[in-house]
Amino acid sequence: MTDQTLPTQDVAVELLVEAGAVLASSLDLPTTMNQVARLTVPRLADLCVIDLRDEDGSIREVAVASADPQIAGPLEAMRREYPLDPAGEHPVARVISSGEPELLAQMTSALMHSFAQGSEHARFMIEHRYHSAMVAPLLARGRTLGALSVLRLGESDSYELGDLDLVCELARRAAMAIDNARLFSQLQRVEQRLEAVLVNVAEAITLTDEGGQMVFANQAAAELLGASTPAELMSASPGTIMPRFLVLDERGQELDLQSMPGRRLFTGESVEPLLVRNIVRATGEERWLNVRSSPVIDPDSGHILYAVNVFENITEVKRAQLAESFMAEASRVLASSMDYTETLTQIARLAVPQIADWCAVDVLGESGKIERVAVHHSDPSQVELAERIDRGYHLDPDEPLGVPEVIRSGRARIYTDIPPDALAAYAHDNAHLALLEAIGATAVIIVPLAAPSRTLGAITLVSSESLRRLSQADLALAERLGRRAGTAVESARLYTERTRIATMLEAALLPESLPEIPGVDLASLYRAAGELNDVGGDFYDVLAFGEDRWLLVIGDVCGKGPRAAAVTALARHTLRTAAMLDLTPAAMLDTLHRALRHQPSGSDLCTVCLVTLDLGGEGARLTVTLAGHPPPLIIDADGGSRQVGKPGTLLGVLDPIEISEVDVEIEPGQTLLLYTDGLPEADRAGAQLGEQELFETDAERPDPSLVGLLTQIERAALRRANGRLRDDIAMLALRLD
Amino acid sequence: MGVQDQLQIGVRHESDRVILALDGELDMATAEQLQHAIEGLDGQAMVVLDLEQLQFIDSTGLRSVLAVLERCRDRGQQFAVTRGSQQVQRLLGVTGVAKHLRIIDTADEVFA
Repeated sequence: MTDQTLPTQDVAVELLVEAGAVLASSLDLPTTMNQVARLTVPRLADLCVIDLRDEDGSIREVAVASADPQIAGPLEAMRREYPLDPAGEHPVARVISSGEPELLAQMTSALMHSFAQGSEHARFMIEHRYHSAMVAPLLARGRTLGALSVLRLGESDSYELGDLDLVCELARRAAMAIDNARLFSQLQRVEQRLEAVLVNVAEAITLTDEGGQMVFANQAAAELLGASTPAELMSASPGTIMPRFLVLDERGQELDLQSMPGRRLFTGESVEPLLVRNIVRATGEERWLNVRSSPVIDPDSGHILYAVNVFENITEVKRAQLAESFMAEASRVLASSMDYTETLTQIARLAVPQIADWCAVDVLGESGKIERVAVHHSDPSQVELAERIDRGYHLDPDEPLGVPEVIRSGRARIYTDIPPDALAAYAHDNAHLALLEAIGATAVIIVPLAAPSRTLGAITLVSSESLRRLSQADLALAERLGRRAGTAVESARLYTERTRIATMLEAALLPESLPEIPGVDLASLYRAAGELNDVGGDFYDVLAFGEDRWLLVIGDVCGKGPRAAAVTALARHTLRTAAMLDLTPAAMLDTLHRALRHQPSGSDLCTVCLVTLDLGGEGARLTVTLAGHPPPLIIDADGGSRQVGKPGTLLGVLDPIEISEVDVEIEPGQTLLLYTDGLPEADRAGAQLGEQELFETDAERPDPSLVGLLTQIERAALRRANGRLRDDIAMLALRLD
Repeated sequence: MGVQDQLQIGVRHESDRVILALDGELDMATAEQLQHAIEGLDGQAMVVLDLEQLQFIDSTGLRSVLAVLERCRDRGQQFAVTRGSQQVQRLLGVTGVAKHLRIIDTADEVFA
């Protein structure tokens, strides 16, 4: 209750200046608000209260200054206990909602009662002799943030309208300060969140200026570029970081810094993302990065201030892509031929330099020795070096390390660091060591040629002069290659083995040679329809059948493969045995029929044609006996033909069988042709075998030689079948001189 | 061309018989289809193989036909076949199988 004169203009200015200083001094709202409140007391008021509107609309007191120290505490307590109703009649509430200042020149008891927040509040105001008040809105950017209230108590002079300006001005400045403080703290929070995001984002992000100086980098960028912290990166001068790396484009051409998108965009051109291959010089580690840069443009001048560079590490994806295309190519090579020496050589060439600088392939031979089948380096003189090593120092299967060990254990090995003494221990002697050192391996991978059943050899990959070193990342691809190649080698070997067996079997089923029969010309021809591996069911024989008697046999077992081969062997040998027992042809076939019926499972069908040739006595007498087999032909010298023999039941399935032996006349010069159904049915039309089928054209004359005739007939059959026979063809022919 | 294209088997049930109509070729590649088709057709008094549209048969095909014959015999079913193409008929003749088969003119032929 000091006696105050109204502040003069100077005092008003002084107040505002001081307020300005206080407000500029700190962003800490509670502090500054209290300081501002205190400035007004006692110069302008006995009591000053600053209330702020919270986000939820409630009104909260943030500062109180009072000439009488006894008032501040209780007032704060009062505000807390009876918060102002934002929609109520209290001047602060009204000012906050209207945004207009209010002057309460004289505060009567009645007035105070009208806006008091309860009787306690009224009593408080009356007790402390509230006399005159001004409430000014805290306005900033068009919004009312709260209110600044100044009060005079007791006998002090009342406020007048003219005083309102000063309070409003003060309030306006305070509001600005509050607004700024809030904005700043919002900004801080946003920055913190942004930082949290950038720091943790997996992609490496940098901000560079026109000169290449790194202005900002996140943790991922630091790690990518070989620094332990972003700060380390940013403090480095431009041009000191990038030399740590060899940067190549997709094709393997070296890129210079100026071609990086982050530099180029400063020229104003729009830049496309760039795929680079980045190799760390010190370690040989390779990364594939997708680099995208965009400009940060100054909104006022339009200049490009910075480049934002995002480095997406797509090493995994890219390597997977390259691995897939490599494996596809390798598979194609391996499938292209059964000659695995050839395909493995091609594989070695494929691997260099795509995967490694060197590639060698070793295969375990039948004898247990390790044979080097391929070695490749892009430089032929280096290959010569490798060959010298191979010639001089054979791989001993019992060696503890290297290819022999991988073959024994079946496990892949990788050596990324080869200390000199390890190399020395591995070398057989100094000369060997010198050669090994000349190769200069930086890393070695050895993987087994892993076939499903066992390890057949090994593939060795070596990095030497390339900056990019082989690493764990290459091991998976190498192992895949080893498995694919191993399977291919095994398949090739099995195929060759099967072919050998089939050839042997076939030899067992067909006679090695036809006997010499005086006065009779004999010839045979066998043409397999399909793959060498499918042993057929056709068989034929010429057997001695008593004195001056011969038996010609031709037969066909239904089916192919091992089962048919077994039945064929049974048929052939049953007939041979029966022939030795001097049975009639019909009885022989009956014997075979019963033997087949006695077979354990399934029905084994067999057709047979037996021709007996009796040369004792005058001329030659023939009989033909058929069991389900196509009838033999008698072919004239001019090409005419006729069938002989009477159809009989096929053997092995139906009972009873009906078979008859038929006498046949044949003139010298005529050919008796026995054949299997692969011949007439070569073209599936299944016509009877006659002139049209035997020879290619009507005009064709039969070849005078028996062998020539068979070849002619075979050729005609192939022609009818368009080169692809339906079934094997067997032919047995005789001609009387 | 798939194996399915080389042989089509149509199954038709009539009051007294089931008819399997073979269209195409019955050989090493397709014979198994006949084995599968015949499975489960146990109820009918008669099984008829309609060979009218059968263009070609080899020994494996023949074996599968004989297997049907035997199966019918085991189950007390009658078995008959219609005539097929020239090649089919010739093979049935040459092998003597025709004599063991009941050959009818059409699949629906009525018997006395």
